[in-house]
Amino acid sequence: MTDTLVAPPGPARTTSRPSGLFRLTPTSGIGLGVALVWFSILVLLPLAAVVGAAAAGGWGAFWNTLTDAQTFAALRLTVLEAAGVTVVNAVIGTVVAWVLVRDHFFGKRILDVVIDIPFALPTIVAGLVLLSLYGPESPVGINIVNTRQGIFLALLFVTLPFVVRTVQPVLIELDADVEEAAASLGASRLTTFRRIILPSLVPAITAGSSLGFARAISEFGSLVLISGNTPYQTEVASLKILKFIEGDNQAGAAAVAVLLLLVAIVTIVGLDLLSRRVANRG
Amino acid sequence: MSIEVRGVGKRYGDFVALDDINVSLPTGQLTALLGPSGGGKSTLLRIIAGLESADTGTVDIEGVDATTLPPQKRNVGFVFQHYAVFKHMSVAKNVAFGLEIRKRPKAEVKAKVAELLELVHLSQFAHRLPSQLSGGQRQRLALARALAVEPSVLLLDEPFGALDAKVRKELRDWLRRLHDEVHVTTVFVTHDQEEALEVADEIVVINEGRIEQIGSPDQLYDEPANDFVMGFLGAVTRLGPLVLRPHDIEVAVAPGVPGSSAGVVQRALRVGFEVRLTVDVEGQDEQVLVVLSRAHARALDLELGSKVWLSPTTGATTVPALAVPREAVASA
Repeated sequence: MTDTLVAPPGPARTTSRPSGLFRLTPTSGIGLGVALVWFSILVLLPLAAVVGAAAAGGWGAFWNTLTDAQTFAALRLTVLEAAGVTVVNAVIGTVVAWVLVRDHFFGKRILDVVIDIPFALPTIVAGLVLLSLYGPESPVGINIVNTRQGIFLALLFVTLPFVVRTVQPVLIELDADVEEAAASLGASRLTTFRRIILPSLVPAITAGSSLGFARAISEFGSLVLISGNTPYQTEVASLKILKFIEGDNQAGAAAVAVLLLLVAIVTIVGLDLLSRRVANRG
Repeated sequence: MSIEVRGVGKRYGDFVALDDINVSLPTGQLTALLGPSGGGKSTLLRIIAGLESADTGTVDIEGVDATTLPPQKRNVGFVFQHYAVFKHMSVAKNVAFGLEIRKRPKAEVKAKVAELLELVHLSQFAHRLPSQLSGGQRQRLALARALAVEPSVLLLDEPFGALDAKVRKELRDWLRRLHDEVHVTTVFVTHDQEEALEVADEIVVINEGRIEQIGSPDQLYDEPANDFVMGFLGAVTRLGPLVLRPHDIEVAVAPGVPGSSAGVVQRALRVGFEVRLTVDVEGQDEQVLVVLSRAHARALDLELGSKVWLSPTTGATTVPALAVPREAVASA
């Protein structure tokens, strides 16, 4: 008995408790297995296949596709438009969420439901909706078809709910106490917002913006009708991919797809890093 | 007078939260606003802080009419029941907040924060986030943050309400000592009469939007203005026409004292050093509670069914029994 008391319990402890990184109980092992298989079938394998298809033509073909002036213009337009839309959404989405949570007005519940419509609509319908008001037969005399502004509007339309819906619950959960504490310490409304409220919202704003950005660079349905698809002018990446496929250029389509994938990953990771920094600065 | 409240009233729809409140709180004093939940004491505190506006009446702070001033301009420190710490800021940043928005020089802020963290014994946690602190530590942090801006009054809304009994008691003692050191005019809201009696220089008893009594802990305990105050400050029982404290009843095993009431011991419960008797008294529906020391009970040789004669002790605090408040029965 004294031995066990004196002996260092190091090895005994590791066997009694799965503290190692790869130790799993049978149930969590099955769970992890199912999750990984599912994730692989749906996401990882198709992604790998696309990367494989892009690589099939060799590095040279990949590079040529992307540096082709027309493809490059389409990619640049897509990323810039998406970035612009993301910035607008981050601001307006936060304002809309604020109004929905903090203000009381007639029709608030209805507005709260309407916010989701752009997300719930099939995107081709969204395009049609915009076309009927801002198309060639516009009753208000505004025609945005075949313009970059039109693309911007369509992207704003389909990405509207993301920031609103991520910020809203966080705003609801914020303690009124904390703002009152800041006020009694002498902070103005603006200072309280900037130093107390905003840092709490930044993670949600970033998450919503990331989703919106990812959606914007991949948007297809609503743009088919709006963008006009003019090379160098209003051609976006998703429509470019379609053209490549229609022209039986699988490798070219895959190359653009892989680049979009990279842009999405870089943006999501970048925004996440940014949000951590801002949230901790105070 | 540091805080002068005159004729303050506040309604929420039909509910009267405060009704014509008049109270003066002297500079440097530690005052408790004591009363049952929903009695209006927190509302009064929030009106003093400017977090709530009064429908009628005025509030002066340090001789300045603060009635219409926003909370930012009142120079009050406020401590909330649920701490209300800034979760994304370190402990030191929380304390520095009030000073930073006043654009004080960096060195001054740093020195002041260090001094305050020392005062609330949180120096070693300066760089932690509030989520890494215990409840008691968070409340000390909230206190340091409020004190950092050198407020003319410090207001605490049920500051220990969210803490467990042991920590609550520690913080209570600590607040008293802190107040003796810092001497800032302090008002705290509590529904715990023991907390108020132990910590405060003066107690304002508030019930149903009205002030029932203002006085020192001893005054309130020894000379309660009415049966509500008496009942709220400690256990009470009724003996004939009087409401009095169970330990202020003399127990005799033979008739002798004129006016004593005869009764029979129905229940005897020993709790530590005291014995609690429940006595059926002739001509009274309600049972009488009596508390006496264990030694005394043993000397009288009391047991279930013993016949006893009860009378108020000389100098007992009594009020006429009109309607015994419900709280008193519950706590008795």
